[in-house]
Amino acid sequence: MVDVSVIIENIDLLWGGLLMTFKLFIVALAGGLPLGIFLGLGRLSSRKWIYYPVSAYVHFIRNVPLLMLIFWIYFSLPILTGGLVEPFYAAVVSFIIFEATYFGEIIRAGYQSVSKGTIQAAYSTGLNYWQMARYILIPIALRRVVPSMITQSIVLFQDTSLAYVIGLHEFVRMASLIDNRVIRPLELYGFVAIVFLVICSIGSQIVKRLETKEGERK
Amino acid sequence: MAYQFDWSIIWSEPYFRWLIIGLIKTIEIGLLSWIIALPLGIGIGTLRSLPNKACRAIGAIYVEFFRNIPLLVQLFFWYYAIPPLLGTRISRLPNLEWYCAIFGLGIYTASRVAEHVRSGFNSVPIGQRFAALSTGLSQFQMFRYVIIPYGFRIMIPPLTTEFLTIFKNSALAMTIGILELSGISWRINEYTFHGFEATTAAIGGYLIIGLTIIFLMGQLEKRLRVPGLMRRE
Amino acid sequence: MKEETPIIEIKNLSKWYGDFQVLDDITTTINRGECVVICGPSGSGKSTLLRCINGLEDFQKGDVIVDGVSIKEISHTKEIYKLRSRIGMVFQHFELYPHMTALENVTLAPKKVFKIPEKEAEKRGMELLEKVGLREHAHKKPGELSGGQQQRVGIARALAMNADIIMFDEPTSALDPEMIRDVLEVMVDLAKGGMTMLVVTHEMGFAKAVADKIIFMDEGRIIEQEDVETFFKNPKSDRAKEFIDRILVHI
Repeated sequence: MVDVSVIIENIDLLWGGLLMTFKLFIVALAGGLPLGIFLGLGRLSSRKWIYYPVSAYVHFIRNVPLLMLIFWIYFSLPILTGGLVEPFYAAVVSFIIFEATYFGEIIRAGYQSVSKGTIQAAYSTGLNYWQMARYILIPIALRRVVPSMITQSIVLFQDTSLAYVIGLHEFVRMASLIDNRVIRPLELYGFVAIVFLVICSIGSQIVKRLETKEGERK
Repeated sequence: MAYQFDWSIIWSEPYFRWLIIGLIKTIEIGLLSWIIALPLGIGIGTLRSLPNKACRAIGAIYVEFFRNIPLLVQLFFWYYAIPPLLGTRISRLPNLEWYCAIFGLGIYTASRVAEHVRSGFNSVPIGQRFAALSTGLSQFQMFRYVIIPYGFRIMIPPLTTEFLTIFKNSALAMTIGILELSGISWRINEYTFHGFEATTAAIGGYLIIGLTIIFLMGQLEKRLRVPGLMRRE
Repeated sequence: MKEETPIIEIKNLSKWYGDFQVLDDITTTINRGECVVICGPSGSGKSTLLRCINGLEDFQKGDVIVDGVSIKEISHTKEIYKLRSRIGMVFQHFELYPHMTALENVTLAPKKVFKIPEKEAEKRGMELLEKVGLREHAHKKPGELSGGQQQRVGIARALAMNADIIMFDEPTSALDPEMIRDVLEVMVDLAKGGMTMLVVTHEMGFAKAVADKIIFMDEGRIIEQEDVETFFKNPKSDRAKEFIDRILVHI
């Protein structure tokens, strides 16, 4: 009943789709992380003119489905640029805008996980702000942040599949194109599911390792 | 060539009616899948909190499996791959996509609910167990009167977020052909080439759903607030 | 004179966490009506010892006999619940149920374990809260009470089952100094009323006032067990001497 030959025959196309998925993932991560750090710091700012706009942005984006954001960007980019826009760019811009809000909140939580007492203790020994940040704040916060960052990256990796809706030839769209031709949904989508499952499980195992290590340290 | 905005299409017929129908469908999908996700997720999250190793493993596998495959792929799998295996009575069922979307979104969300449930129970301090047992309560009574009510209150905020997420995720139902809010906005673009206005309107619809839920859950949380509970780590 | 009927007998009790031995061949007897203070440096196994006595933790060797019942034999049966209801326990961090009022905290076990009717349980609960001086706070939740008040509710909860024995696990070490006295007063009253008490504490004033015996533990072992007088005046071991010096200097 299950005929894997359809996978073998189309492996080049599927591989191409997977590469596109990875490309989307890497570019979105490379853009989303820095923007996320920016947003996270903005959310921690005591300056109201920074805090409120950034918070409004974060809350707004987090209440919109990513799929809608992709559509919206896909339609608004041509208005801004006055010409046609490649689906790839529309997708990447959407992912960056969207995932950055999640990365930002992770950074904020990491910062807030460092107790005020610890920071005051560092100051009380005569460290200045940058020394405190370099030796106390960042090392402690990072331990909290890294596992969540990897978890969010796994989510981002899965989210790239949504570029399907604007016709980008990523992994899922490739499988669906092949399926339209050969009508083998079980094998094709099963294969796609397994590939995602394997990649993301590896990621989540890494997170589990980090978290148990962190738990032991406490 | 500059883009000519035409916001009137949102209010004109039949598009306005379409948008409202789409909004209602989005709400329906979200609520119906939540009815699957919540009890199933609580069940699986509880399995993961039990002392029995086999129970924990079953729960863990469920969560690993559904959280590590994109929802889009899961929906395609339920809609395209499974029905042909079940014979023509199923695969020719009217509104098949509707059942697949609700079922798929429900069991996917259950895996996320399960994680919140598990971490809720985990954050009940071990001393509470000792205290309950030391007064002579049985294992079951300890769960029933102390761990569950305590953990449940810890779970409310993350479950609220999850409830919001299920409506956002319901947008994926359009990929298997359901004309809910997202699907409608895409459809309006095909008719009018005013995708920007249509999607902006749809986003407005999602924001209305989100704000309503935040308001309602805020009321619930206020009612169930336990003094000092959130202060303790 | 107190009659010497043993109520807790600990025989060669040993316990390991993995490779780490927390309790090492503990043997002692506690008589009915005695107040026994257990002290020693942190990590010496005092709290673990208490949790072994009411079966909250398993142990690998030896046994604990409570009123003729072997904990080893009943630890994984339903009998352990009955036994625990006879041993009250008070915790360092109070461990009140935060979602219940003070009164509900006190009455939960009587209602659920003994199936005492609601009204009756509440009447008795109010009496106990009165005893610890918190009648007017009965309907507040733990989060609305101070640490000292919470701990007194904890004591009332432990008393609610009409326990024969009450174990205190560092009951005052999480409290502000000005609240410690309120809690100690309640404990002294209990001891004077003839309750069998096992108290892990560093409050040597309390020990001097009411303890019949002091057990000094270090690294999982009982180093000394003496009456109060002897312990403070002529400690046998260097470690106890050192410990007393440190604690007394502190006072």
